Amino acid sequence: MNRISCKWSTLTILGLAVFGCEKDNNGGPDNEQELITTVALKFVGGGQTLTFTAEDKDGDGGQAPIIQPIALKVNTDYTLSVTFSDASKTPAIDITTEVKTESNDHLVCFENTGAMNAPLQQDKDAAGKTLGLESTLKTGASGTGTLKVTLKHMPTKSSANACATGETDAEATFNVTVK
Amino acid sequence: MEKVFAAFLGVVLMYLISPMATQAQQCNLSLKGQVLNADTGLPMAYAGIMIKETQQGVESDEHGHYQLANLCPGEYTLVCSHIGCDHAEQKLSLRSSSILDISLRENAVTLQNVVVSGTVGKKASTQTASELSGTELDSGKGLGLGESLKRLSGVSSLNTGATISKPIIQGMHSNRILIFNNGVRLEGQQWGSEHAPEVDPFNSERITVVKGAGSVRYGSDALGGIILMEPKPMRHNPGIGGELHLQSFTNGRSGIASGMLEGKLAKLPLGVRVQGTLKRAGNLQTPNYYLNNTGASESNFSWSTKYQPEQWVLETFYSRFYTQLGILSDSHIGNLTDLNNAIERGRPLQDGSFSYDLGRPLQRVLHETFRVKIAHSFSENDKLTFQVSRQFNRRQEYDAHRRYNVLPQSLDAPNIQFEITTWAAELNWDHRLGRNWQGAFGSTAQKQINTVDRGALIPGFDNLDAGIYWTERHFKLGNPWEFEFGARYDIRRLHIGEQGTTIIDQNRDFKNWSATLGLLYTLNENLKLRFNTGSAWRSPLVNELFSSGVHHGSASYEQGNPDLQPERGFNNSLTLEGAHTQKWSFALTAYLNLVNNYIYLQPRAAPELTIRGAFPAFDYQQADARIMGLDWTGDLELYKNLHLESKISLINGWNQELHDFLIYMPPFRFDQGLKLNFNAQKHPDHPSFVRLGVLAVMRQQQAPATDYASPPPGYMRVDAEFFHTFEWGKQHLELGISVFNLFNTSYREYLNRFRYFTAEPGRNLGFRLKVPFNFSPK
Repeated sequence: MNRISCKWSTLTILGLAVFGCEKDNNGGPDNEQELITTVALKFVGGGQTLTFTAEDKDGDGGQAPIIQPIALKVNTDYTLSVTFSDASKTPAIDITTEVKTESNDHLVCFENTGAMNAPLQQDKDAAGKTLGLESTLKTGASGTGTLKVTLKHMPTKSSANACATGETDAEATFNVTVK
Repeated sequence: MEKVFAAFLGVVLMYLISPMATQAQQCNLSLKGQVLNADTGLPMAYAGIMIKETQQGVESDEHGHYQLANLCPGEYTLVCSHIGCDHAEQKLSLRSSSILDISLRENAVTLQNVVVSGTVGKKASTQTASELSGTELDSGKGLGLGESLKRLSGVSSLNTGATISKPIIQGMHSNRILIFNNGVRLEGQQWGSEHAPEVDPFNSERITVVKGAGSVRYGSDALGGIILMEPKPMRHNPGIGGELHLQSFTNGRSGIASGMLEGKLAKLPLGVRVQGTLKRAGNLQTPNYYLNNTGASESNFSWSTKYQPEQWVLETFYSRFYTQLGILSDSHIGNLTDLNNAIERGRPLQDGSFSYDLGRPLQRVLHETFRVKIAHSFSENDKLTFQVSRQFNRRQEYDAHRRYNVLPQSLDAPNIQFEITTWAAELNWDHRLGRNWQGAFGSTAQKQINTVDRGALIPGFDNLDAGIYWTERHFKLGNPWEFEFGARYDIRRLHIGEQGTTIIDQNRDFKNWSATLGLLYTLNENLKLRFNTGSAWRSPLVNELFSSGVHHGSASYEQGNPDLQPERGFNNSLTLEGAHTQKWSFALTAYLNLVNNYIYLQPRAAPELTIRGAFPAFDYQQADARIMGLDWTGDLELYKNLHLESKISLINGWNQELHDFLIYMPPFRFDQGLKLNFNAQKHPDHPSFVRLGVLAVMRQQQAPATDYASPPPGYMRVDAEFFHTFEWGKQHLELGISVFNLFNTSYREYLNRFRYFTAEPGRNLGFRLKVPFNFSPK
């Protein structure tokens, strides 16, 4: 909380006025940043539960995000759940719930390259349109590729390319190995 | 019989008392009277009075009295000049010996302490300045300060969408320009290019733009120039008066009402004024689509009092400015991918529709000013003024969506909120040394503190400034040379507190001098040459030193540089100006500004990676820069009342270290218009007119290599205006109809930061009505 106690006195020797002010320098709730620091992908399939994260705990600037490489089995059916959280606070705050609550205003998009196959979004928002927090995926032959996960806010879901609309709230590109 | 001349804007009040004797066609008429200071009412000694046609001239005595004898009956132009005042010209039809009192206004641009308004004729200052008043100013008031000032040659505007517009003077903007609103240096938050000046143009009767680092009188930092906004002077005569402005624009379906009411007591030398403006505008429209969320609202209020017993003046002034500005939804982007998608589209995703609703993204800005001024005149030539002011500025920015994981009660809280309080004091002594020297000596002090800081883009800070200045001007009647010089010294201590939750707690101390020299040479009665050279400095600001974070409006990551040094500007300009009664007038200015340690944003090679994806990153850096250009403005009478008006501006900005152009330099502009005046006999101050203007703007070829998208092609736009002054019963009325972009041309402006996302607004039909009223006790 920034509180100021500001007394001012005027010394007028040819207009030289001096004001004395004191200011409280404690950072407080006003200065807290709200952000998504962590994107977590949970793959369930082939008898395993695998979790990979992209995380930037110190926010914009400073350290670059740390993105774990994804390793999946060949020719396996997976379910993919995407979660978002703010790990800069203790305990970490789950943001996925908020995305679900405002499901009409959010969309999770995937872009795949190389040996990574495209996840198929399964869940719907309150208006019956794609949401993307839950998907299915079937891996193919071995190889490498990438998976870009994007959380869009206020996309135009009726647009032909909905993922090119709206504002990006989170974006991370994971390296993928399928073997 | 008493006749009031030229009183409409309160510009020059003249009382003509006649006749004393009627002896036609004999050259034995006389003209006498007193020269008075329009602001204080005190007599003005040693003013030059000349009849232009016959070159007969006298100087007023120490009580301001003058007398011209042996005049023939006829039509004359009376020119009155005084050191530190504007030259006033008045047409006069002399049939008999007359008494004529002349009120002169002090020149705002020179050394005088009082920033008062009103002028007739040409400025005598050595500064290169242009001004906007009367009809020209009235017609743009509804569009805001940035848009109004575009009518002046050499002034353009940097826009963020269609609602946010800030002036650029000779290539410089934001903190390189000082804005004075009614004598108080505006201390808002001009550091951002999407922060519009927090002022109500309806409160001003005259706006003067001083180009270049000229006037040390007003403080350091003004590398680009100074904008002086001056209200109408308080009324002199007892009674009640005021004016009402009603304006409406079809694009955005806006409505604006602004009123001013003032009164002066007969028994006490006390005047009171209240003024207010309400504005509401909805979504704007380009030729092909609506721009969603581009509405705006404004509600401003001000009051002032002036108590003026003999030799003393006590003034108080309070103003409150509050605006809400919608920002085009499609411009709000998350990261580089979003930006590229938006640029690729080049237009909003949807066609949009009309609405007055203001949604997110949104800016809410409040600015309060309170000022007390006390002045004591020891004599006409010696005046001591003391002024104290307090300003409070609150800026709230709401992003496209609410923040995540906030407490329910703060769900609608702004994403960024910044509050600044500024206290300033000023003591000034205007003096005169002998007949030919006039000057001012004084000091200023300022304390600034930011009290709320939500969002960690820039840190909390406080600032302490003090300065001392001295200026002198030399003027001698009959001598073609006139010169002025001035110097000032400033110190600043900037203390940086916490940024986000990080405590920085550092001090930055800056101190330096500014100086200026101006020369005015009168070649003949039609031509004048002005030369100005000056040097000013500007200390780096808190955002340039410490900003760190993503700027959502521009999808860029900005990193401050704590090691920045002050900028030092060297400014030179040469102006040739001429005027020949109604036949022609022109001003041609060439300028060369060198700025050492010019602070700019340098794009980083690699984008900054965040959890929201990649952002283009910029670092604040310094380099020596050079800005030079030409400004031309001219007016030529083609036939009777038909005038050709012409404005051209050419500018080049160069980074001498990178060997690249500077960003956001106005492209070549070529503005020509035809104006037909009519009804000039009936309303000589505000003659009716019809004007047709063609503006051609070339593509900016001199743009830096790094930009999100290359500069848009040039364009041509046609605007038209009709203005008529008429009487409705006994009521004087002014009616204006204007058409902006007559042919609904679709174009993009290089100086608009939203040119990536949308075209400029289309045709805009504007209506305005001004109703001045006056009730004087008989």
